[in-house]
Amino acid sequence: MKRLRLLVAGLVVALLAIAGMAQDGLAAPVDELIASAKKEGAIEFYTSSTLTPEGAQKLGEAFNKKYGLNIKLNYNPGDSYTRDVGKVVGLAASGVAPEWDVMVVHDAGHATLWLRKAHKPFDYAKLGVDPKAIQYDNGTVILANQFALPAYNSKILPPQDVPKKWEDLLDPKWKGGKLGMSTATHHLARLATAWGEKKATEYVKALAKQAPMLGTLATITTRLQLGEVLLAVTLNDSFVHRAKVTGAPIVFAEGVEPVISPAYNAGVLKGARHPNAGHLLAAFLTTSEAQEIWEKYNSQTSALVPGTTAYKYAQGKKVLYMNQDQAEMVDRLTREYGKLLGFEK
Amino acid sequence: MKAVSGEGVLGRIIDVTQPGTTVFAGGLMALLALLVGVPIAMVLIMSLRTGFPGEGGPLTLVNFITAYTDPGTYEVLLNTLLFAAGTVTVTLLFAVPMVWLLMRTDMPLKGTVYVLMTVGILIPVFLRTIAWILLLSPRIGLVNQWAKQIFGLDQPLVSLYNIPGMAFIQGVSFVPAAFFMLAAAYRTMDPALEEAAYTSGVTKLQTFLRINIPITLPAIAGVMVYLFMTAIAVFEVPAIIGLPARILVLSSLIYTSTNPPTGLPNYGLAGAYGSIMLLAGLTFAYFYVRLVRQGKKYTVITGRGYRPREIALGGWKWPALAFVIFYLSMEVFMPFVVLLWTSLLPHLQLPSMAALSTISMKNFRTIFDYAGTLPFINTAILMFAVPTVTMLLSVLISWVVIRTQVSFRGILDTMAFLPHAMPSILLAVGLGYLGLAYRGIFPVYGTIFIIIFAHTINWIAYGTRTTNSVMIQVHRELEEAGKVSGASTPRVLGHIVLPLVAAGVFNSWVWVSMLSYREVTMALTLYTRSNVVISTVVWQFWGSGWVPEVAALGVILVLFAIIVVGGLKIGFSRIVEISSGT
Repeated sequence: MKRLRLLVAGLVVALLAIAGMAQDGLAAPVDELIASAKKEGAIEFYTSSTLTPEGAQKLGEAFNKKYGLNIKLNYNPGDSYTRDVGKVVGLAASGVAPEWDVMVVHDAGHATLWLRKAHKPFDYAKLGVDPKAIQYDNGTVILANQFALPAYNSKILPPQDVPKKWEDLLDPKWKGGKLGMSTATHHLARLATAWGEKKATEYVKALAKQAPMLGTLATITTRLQLGEVLLAVTLNDSFVHRAKVTGAPIVFAEGVEPVISPAYNAGVLKGARHPNAGHLLAAFLTTSEAQEIWEKYNSQTSALVPGTTAYKYAQGKKVLYMNQDQAEMVDRLTREYGKLLGFEK
Repeated sequence: MKAVSGEGVLGRIIDVTQPGTTVFAGGLMALLALLVGVPIAMVLIMSLRTGFPGEGGPLTLVNFITAYTDPGTYEVLLNTLLFAAGTVTVTLLFAVPMVWLLMRTDMPLKGTVYVLMTVGILIPVFLRTIAWILLLSPRIGLVNQWAKQIFGLDQPLVSLYNIPGMAFIQGVSFVPAAFFMLAAAYRTMDPALEEAAYTSGVTKLQTFLRINIPITLPAIAGVMVYLFMTAIAVFEVPAIIGLPARILVLSSLIYTSTNPPTGLPNYGLAGAYGSIMLLAGLTFAYFYVRLVRQGKKYTVITGRGYRPREIALGGWKWPALAFVIFYLSMEVFMPFVVLLWTSLLPHLQLPSMAALSTISMKNFRTIFDYAGTLPFINTAILMFAVPTVTMLLSVLISWVVIRTQVSFRGILDTMAFLPHAMPSILLAVGLGYLGLAYRGIFPVYGTIFIIIFAHTINWIAYGTRTTNSVMIQVHRELEEAGKVSGASTPRVLGHIVLPLVAAGVFNSWVWVSMLSYREVTMALTLYTRSNVVISTVVWQFWGSGWVPEVAALGVILVLFAIIVVGGLKIGFSRIVEISSGT
């Protein structure tokens, strides 16, 4: 019995020692990174303009509080991800340092940067980031998920006309400009990750025959609010959330599956002037403190962080997340579908 | 000896009878070559490469082959041609009579109309287009709703989703630009010719058609060329009205190439598409220079008793005012009502009692929370610096082109027009990369100054078309008289030419200032967090679907512009009165 007790005590001590070492192992990279970030003193942070200067300030304060730092977070609001990703690639090609250290753009944008080797990779798992959130060969971390579905004006569209599946949008009753399709053709290209290329392409061809009204996400939302289009083929949750906040009767056609989910990733750019502070911030964005602020200002959270709104929304639904191996196909189909729908000649 | 007599190659280039003028014109040409030529060369090189700017690589024609071996391109070019021609026609149908009424006649409320013409531009195009959708949409447009109720129609009576609809909306929106370009020429016209016509028993309409229009032909030609090129380049109306119906124009192709939904912008392909604009621009510039060279035919301001007077309209006064109000209701009143209505709502909705119960000033209060004050400061700098530099350069260029015999004046004028024949996004991309590459020498990248550079380059074409049309009407004898009296060339320019063209220059200054405020493509391309301006904030709001906030910002700016432009107009009139009094 005494031997057994000794054995148990020994095991407990050993486990504690291993746990302690693991903690040290986790703490050491964080501490090193914090020390290096402290020396850098600033971060150039690129993300959407919806975060707002106030949101960026709150994020900076929470970041500094968590790691005991006094780093200046310079907020660079962006509005065109493709153009700004292009800018980064162009600067890298010219051998000029990027303007931003950390760039938050959607997964398709980071795919372009990844293909051009424009990230500065980091072992984010060592900082405790969920491995599922780490993308593009350690180049980025997922910090938020968008959701995209067909959307409609609940004051105009009768309940019996609300689509219940993607195929319902091909009903002849929607012909002749009653549908609205935005430039976000990548939403439809992502369907190919679940349906396969052939089925997705046939679907888009059939959709094009419905002659939907074309426009940007903003103009399609406006036309939906005015009643000029009755149903948007896809809208993302930023616009639906905004509608909810302002009382506009724009809602998702819930129940349609699979739900498309473009992910927002944070990645440090190659040649960044403050890489350590950048990596630390990227990891911080996946924490519950950052998620809370991100949700308040950007109305988005990560579906990979338990307890968040996105996590809860995704439960029980078939959600399409794009991985890095599908990025090239989605990019190619996005362009092809743009042509099929009439955005390009 | 040959050189002294002005013969030989060198003699043809350098007018030795006026060496100072030639050196000055040469300096101006060098400055223009640097300002305009370098970014344009950058764009041309981009179109001859497949990689990204900065990547280098061999020169190739692959972008041109991709662009021009596709039959679809020619369909798009035909759409573009029809759209541009229709736009210019609509603009001139409104602008020419309006400029005559406002500049040559005693029509009432001219000062108010002038200010309203200026502020119309401050209403963002996409909100203006929403007003047209509410009016003419096949499904929800009020005109079609009424037509259905009154006539029991099954199909919509009118639709704006076609090329005539696009041309009409765009054409109406160009009227203020044409107005300000033509105003200078009409304002300075000697009434002796009109009076001679009246005393010969010719009616006012015939006088307008046979005297006013022929005399101002260079100005009208300048406006037509300028607007045609602008119509080829504009994007908003084709995007909001054309795209829904799959009507693509050249700017749609350039936009898609530079703003793909995923992947990287293809600036090379955009440059190849843009080259057709350059070709069109050079062709127009050639004919325009030929027309301007016949300048003497259009001289109306001479040294003898020049005194512009107003023509009494008599009983036609009120129909004339009704015509102007009809135009203003389309360009200003209706869009402003939509703007005001939207700015007070939590979200865009059609007028109803339920909507009325939700109105508040919340959007006006939240703007500054989102935008801060920097965009307003930067925009104020832009609105002062861009027109000042543009008009200064324009006056100097026009003086050389119109008033001197320098052999390369045609090239100088063409060079001034060239930026207008380039897609502005490509011009900004070229300038951005130059700014980054040489930021050690010229640290302007990321500052408001790079946007000032870009806007100045872009509107030199506008400035010089206006100053050309004014200067062409000032007879040389006035300057010759000054020179005979012993005044130096700069003194003649400053004391004789400038006062005569001051009104036209002022009009253009105001207009360039407004254009600079509104311009978004170049400002976005050159945007960093230090040089954010109001137009980029408006674009960001719009892109995020924050339509009421955009509307609130629009209302603030329109009211601000009414005060500033009205004040400037009154101030300028006082200065002119005092000057003519003394």
